[in-house]
Amino acid sequence: MRVGIFKFSSCDGCQLSFINLSGELAELENFSIDYFLEGQSVNNYEYFDFSFVEGSVSTTEEIERIKDIRERSKVLVGIGACAVSGGVQSIRNFRNIDDIKTVYNTVDITKNVLENALPISQVVKVDFEIRGCPVSTDVVKDFINSILIGKSPHNYNYPVCLECKRRGNICLLVLNKPCLGPITTAGCNALCPSVNRGCYGCFGPYKDANIEAFYNLFKEKGWGIRDFIENSLNPYNHLFVEKLWKQNL
Amino acid sequence: MEAKPLTRVEGEGTLKLILKDDLVQDVVLNIFEPPRFFESILKGKRFEVIPDITARICGICPVAYQMSGIQAVESVFNVKVSKEVEDLRRLFYYGEWIHSHAIHVFFMHLPDFLGLSSFFEFLKLNPDLSKKALFIKQTGRKILEVIGGRDVHPVTVCVGGFTHFPKDEEIKSLIPSLEKSYDYSLEILDFLSTLNFPQHLLPEDILFVSLKEEDHYPILKGKIYLSTGVGLDKDEFLKYFYEFEKPHSTAKYSKTKDGKTYIVGPIARFNNSFDNLTENSKKIALKYGVKPVERNMSKTIIVRVIEILDSIERSIELINLYQKNSLKNEKYEVSEGEGTGVSEAPRGILWHYYKINSNGLIEKANIIPPTSQNQSVMEELLRKNLTNKELKDESTLISYGEYIVRDFDPCISCATHFLKIDKLNLDNR
Ligand code: SF4
Ligand code: SF4
Ligand code: SF4
Repeated sequence: MRVGIFKFSSCDGCQLSFINLSGELAELENFSIDYFLEGQSVNNYEYFDFSFVEGSVSTTEEIERIKDIRERSKVLVGIGACAVSGGVQSIRNFRNIDDIKTVYNTVDITKNVLENALPISQVVKVDFEIRGCPVSTDVVKDFINSILIGKSPHNYNYPVCLECKRRGNICLLVLNKPCLGPITTAGCNALCPSVNRGCYGCFGPYKDANIEAFYNLFKEKGWGIRDFIENSLNPYNHLFVEKLWKQNL
Repeated sequence: MEAKPLTRVEGEGTLKLILKDDLVQDVVLNIFEPPRFFESILKGKRFEVIPDITARICGICPVAYQMSGIQAVESVFNVKVSKEVEDLRRLFYYGEWIHSHAIHVFFMHLPDFLGLSSFFEFLKLNPDLSKKALFIKQTGRKILEVIGGRDVHPVTVCVGGFTHFPKDEEIKSLIPSLEKSYDYSLEILDFLSTLNFPQHLLPEDILFVSLKEEDHYPILKGKIYLSTGVGLDKDEFLKYFYEFEKPHSTAKYSKTKDGKTYIVGPIARFNNSFDNLTENSKKIALKYGVKPVERNMSKTIIVRVIEILDSIERSIELINLYQKNSLKNEKYEVSEGEGTGVSEAPRGILWHYYKINSNGLIEKANIIPPTSQNQSVMEELLRKNLTNKELKDESTLISYGEYIVRDFDPCISCATHFLKIDKLNLDNR
């Protein structure tokens, strides 16, 4: 199996899972990392059975690059919130791009910058997505193991709450602390609630999340949902947040 | 002309060789990245997001961003955390140093000394030592997980302290791996001492800039110290240094206001604070042939391992003192104002500035990461070593350039760029 690991606009945190797994990956017989700029200096950019892509598409150059990678890849996997939904840089999608660009005085520097930071799925077809900011190394490991034995990867389409209950945590909502666990995709093993912090949604909402119930809960508790989402979930899944704002719930 | 990407660095970027008659005339370090505009996107958000959002500037040193960031907010609100909280932050930060340095030493830098393409190859060549290397890295990761919940973008840092304090036994259970990692690091040094160190010499008049802490090697806070003997308060950073842009780099450059090039990072810390290493670390440094003033950048691989050893020793001290029930978060009230924070990221000083309004919203942010501070010297060193070299064999020249770049452990993600190798041939113009 020929594998490529690619970086777009991102922090490198998701690629780190491959560094974390290097000992195990080196022992796999049928797993050759052909392309991984962060990890090796000899790279072979030809054809890939599996391409793992970190980062969002945020410049004109990146649009071309992701298209080319798509053409060379049998299966393309987006890893992490940046790839899946635009990530932290997509906060700018809600803002005026000219204001955003004031970080630089030299206009030339930002001329290729897209107004919006895009999830790769808005540019090319994506076969699998692994959630998280960052993805969990264990989840990546399971994913690789599954594909190697031809099994379909575990589907995390259920809320963090399930993992939280399994860990035996006292629910933060009961303690009157806001928590996005009920609508957030599992996979982190309920990390935040286990360290006394409300989930801030870094794995993004799961597909069948019951948003209305969640809204009602926030209303009941008298918590400002807009403010909470603006300062939590927003960087990790702007697509969803956009939808919420449109629905004007 | 054909463009080749620079490899084994965190992030991506370009090195441009300007050629005439196949001789290198000049070198430009071209970092043109997809800018991620952190300072802009923070505006209007609540101060609480600072540790979450700024961590995402770099997945390899998120704790550095959290530490500089939270200290800046605490200085706006006039919060002084207890010594116990500070010690836990220090231990947390040592975890990141061990983890990040291990990644750089083994995955990025070491293959250059051995003529290998990657650590994956080293794994095959020397499974015993590479497993030990991975063990050291994993030990750093464990500290991060126990204190911060996870290694990348930990979740427990908050104004006044932490959302959660680990149990005594969780913290104490880190000791055996730390002890083992200490021994393994010594073995690694033995191995490194058999290698050849090319002379990648910094200019004689280079300024070393790092923090100074009183009783130990700098990591969490302190005065900004210049090797000329000047010590600055964190609020004075912009009085002495300035950032500037070059047209083709989205990573900014910095120099001192009087135009001097300076360097931050392990070599600056080592040269400025050698005396503050532990007695053991000092002896080991001398034994393995590094002492101040060290100017050979290829030796930073040794300096990083010394910093790993020092971090391990200090971590064990802190763990022995740890008592969960002595920890308490400092209370605070949101108030408007400005504040700065600075700490020693694995790659060097990382400075944050925020202006926060009375509702707790961020009005202004400025973040100066180590890589942009080192960009000038990195470029100078490349120029010095590559100018007038003949382009007989392109790939050798490129590897040589990359080798020098890797001496710096540039965290290109800190500036989030895309760097390619580019050749400009003056003959063809
Ligand atoms: S998803 Fe998060 S951890 Fe992964 S690359 Fe993006 S910012 Fe980094
Ligand atoms: S604490 Fe959060 S994640 Fe856990 S059960 Fe309650 S709502 Fe769900
Ligand atoms: S924010 Fe939510 S999804 Fe992210 S690690 Fe915390 S609990 Fe898990």
